[in-house]
Amino acid sequence: MTCLARLAPTPANRQFPGRMMSFALPSLLLRGAIRLYQLTLAYFFVGACRYEPSCSAYAAEAVMVHGALRGTLLAAHRFCRCAPWGQGGFDPVPAPRVTAGRAGLSCQSARRA
Amino acid sequence: MDQKNFIVAIVLSVLIIVGWQSFFPTKHTTPPPAPVTQAVPGAPAATPGTAPGVGTAPPAAPGAAPAAVAETFVARPEALAKSPRVTFTTPELLGSISLKGGRIDDVQLAKHRETLDPKSDPVPVLSPLGSEHPYYAEFGWSASDKALALPGPDTMWTADKPTLAPGQPVKLSWDNGQNLTFVLAISIDDHFMFDVKQSVENKSDKPVTLFPWGLVIRYGQPKAEGTYVLHEGPYGVFNGSLKEFGYSDFKGNKQQKMETTGGWVGITDKYWMATLVPDQKIKTDVSIKQTGSDTEPKYQIDYVAPGLSIAPGATGDNDQHLFAGAKIVKVIDDYREKYGIERFDLTIDWGWFSFFTKPLFWLLEWLYAQIGNFGLAIMALTVLVKAAFFPLANKSYAAMSKMKRLQPEMEKLKQRYGEDKQRMNQELMQLYRREKVNPAAGCLPIVVQIPVFFALYKVLYTTIEMRHQPFFGWIKDLSAPDPLTILTGFGLVQWNVPEFLHFFNIGLWPLFMGVTMFLQQKLNPAPTDPVQARVFQFLPIMFTFMMAPFSAGLVIYWAWSNTLSIGQQYFIMKRHGAPVGKQAVPAAALPATPPPADKKPNKTKPKKG
Repeated sequence: MTCLARLAPTPANRQFPGRMMSFALPSLLLRGAIRLYQLTLAYFFVGACRYEPSCSAYAAEAVMVHGALRGTLLAAHRFCRCAPWGQGGFDPVPAPRVTAGRAGLSCQSARRA
Repeated sequence: MDQKNFIVAIVLSVLIIVGWQSFFPTKHTTPPPAPVTQAVPGAPAATPGTAPGVGTAPPAAPGAAPAAVAETFVARPEALAKSPRVTFTTPELLGSISLKGGRIDDVQLAKHRETLDPKSDPVPVLSPLGSEHPYYAEFGWSASDKALALPGPDTMWTADKPTLAPGQPVKLSWDNGQNLTFVLAISIDDHFMFDVKQSVENKSDKPVTLFPWGLVIRYGQPKAEGTYVLHEGPYGVFNGSLKEFGYSDFKGNKQQKMETTGGWVGITDKYWMATLVPDQKIKTDVSIKQTGSDTEPKYQIDYVAPGLSIAPGATGDNDQHLFAGAKIVKVIDDYREKYGIERFDLTIDWGWFSFFTKPLFWLLEWLYAQIGNFGLAIMALTVLVKAAFFPLANKSYAAMSKMKRLQPEMEKLKQRYGEDKQRMNQELMQLYRREKVNPAAGCLPIVVQIPVFFALYKVLYTTIEMRHQPFFGWIKDLSAPDPLTILTGFGLVQWNVPEFLHFFNIGLWPLFMGVTMFLQQKLNPAPTDPVQARVFQFLPIMFTFMMAPFSAGLVIYWAWSNTLSIGQQYFIMKRHGAPVGKQAVPAAALPATPPPADKKPNKTKPKKG
């Protein structure tokens, strides 16, 4: 049982092969909160997004792929980029910088936390 | 199948809400009218302070005489008749001052009634001893020298005239038989401020040191409406910073002591308050405490001024103000200016976002002055907000229309590349470029409406200016929920709807708001996430239930705001030829997708914005 992600592949790690996903508690909680938002308050923002994926989907993926801390920073950066005068369009979560080998390490540290 | 689960989930949640409310009914904090303990007239409880030997340490202000006899209360006029009085009638106040004890204990608001019925009783701010909930202000002196006779709760003062009016102050005086003459010179203005000038003339042959004090006592804990939104209870500004307390903070006869120069201390309800304003230049000792018992509490706020050493033949005095009235924003702000009262504006709880809430209130009040109806002023405010973001919203709606027109093609793309997110997104972007879909305006135009909504909620809830303000038809009070509710047959059957059914008791305006939400949803493109799409279908219903207990003004704002959006969106969508409503353009009618270019996924760099 090196990492849960290997047992249960999802689109996200197919997108970034070899990358583990964060199942640590902070990242799970964050994703839960994002999902709650997506099913309630996001109602008022239907069709308003300039970017694909939308900020909430971006945040969920960023947190899953990069972990709670870096994911939150990426999401915050993305949110700040969304302004009526700015750009729009396809803006996916960047691929993780770490290699597959180091990802295993971070997976272990995530389990310890 | 999914649909079935969802309905089951909704039914379960409703059952939980209803069950919760019937098992844990909202507790009302006020006990039923209970026998009220009345203070027995006695010697003033002038308890010397911590260091009585040194004449400079201030003694504490006395409170209600501690020895008490249980006595049932009587009606207000009867309670008032127990003492000779100086009466006053001003444009905003009705009331009187008790000559026994020199108490300001009868203040009613001439322009504010208890209920919507104009014949209902004027709202009492201060009430005399012997009435149901005594609440009064007293001003006096303390001394370290116990041999000095001082005026107390039983002292009979002599007034120089029978009535008090703005510009015609009254002078209450009392001779202590030891060659000291005590005077309370009380004047009032057109609003709610009493100016109380205490003075002592020393005609004896030795100097005396006296500590002037002022206090407000309130019997019983009033029913607070919603302390999460708004503070009610004792509070004050001490050395420039606001401190708010709940009544329960003083349970077990606890006490809070503060030393301050400038500021004020008071007890507030949602719309009215009784607040002491000491001379802003002197250093005072303020205390807030509960006396009596936890079942029959009395709340006391008081302050003691520094000792006055009065030489033989000299007169010592202390000037102060008492605010007893309605917290009208303009009146409060004017008092702050006029008397230089430190942070007197904080007597109104504007909340953390006062920097936004207060300007919105000013704008609303200005609109009201132009239009003459607060409901219309709210609608006009909505138009202003919408107008400010009109171009941006137009851009968004245009993007939305194109997206909606392209929805069938997107479905096709999803079927083809659904498994490969990266590829799917690339195809999507190509489609957008081909169809010249500009990015939407983003969420900013929507985000700015959140503070407006919140501030309006706070203003409607907090300010007395919104109380009992009518709209058209059946809305007689914008700050209260819509009274024409389903379970009363929209006003046909008058009965007391039991508490556990309140959740279902939805008014007409909330229903209309729900309809506008539903219509707007029909105009919007469906979210791509199927779970999201299904949940959103139910949200107009959920929001109808959620908004029903809110003030009618807020519901009207939302319904009107939705109506304006729908109009704008409908117009734009028609112009862009987007399908309005459910009918979608058949996929075949759209240009065929060119063969997808083969690109490696995973290499696309995010665009910098």
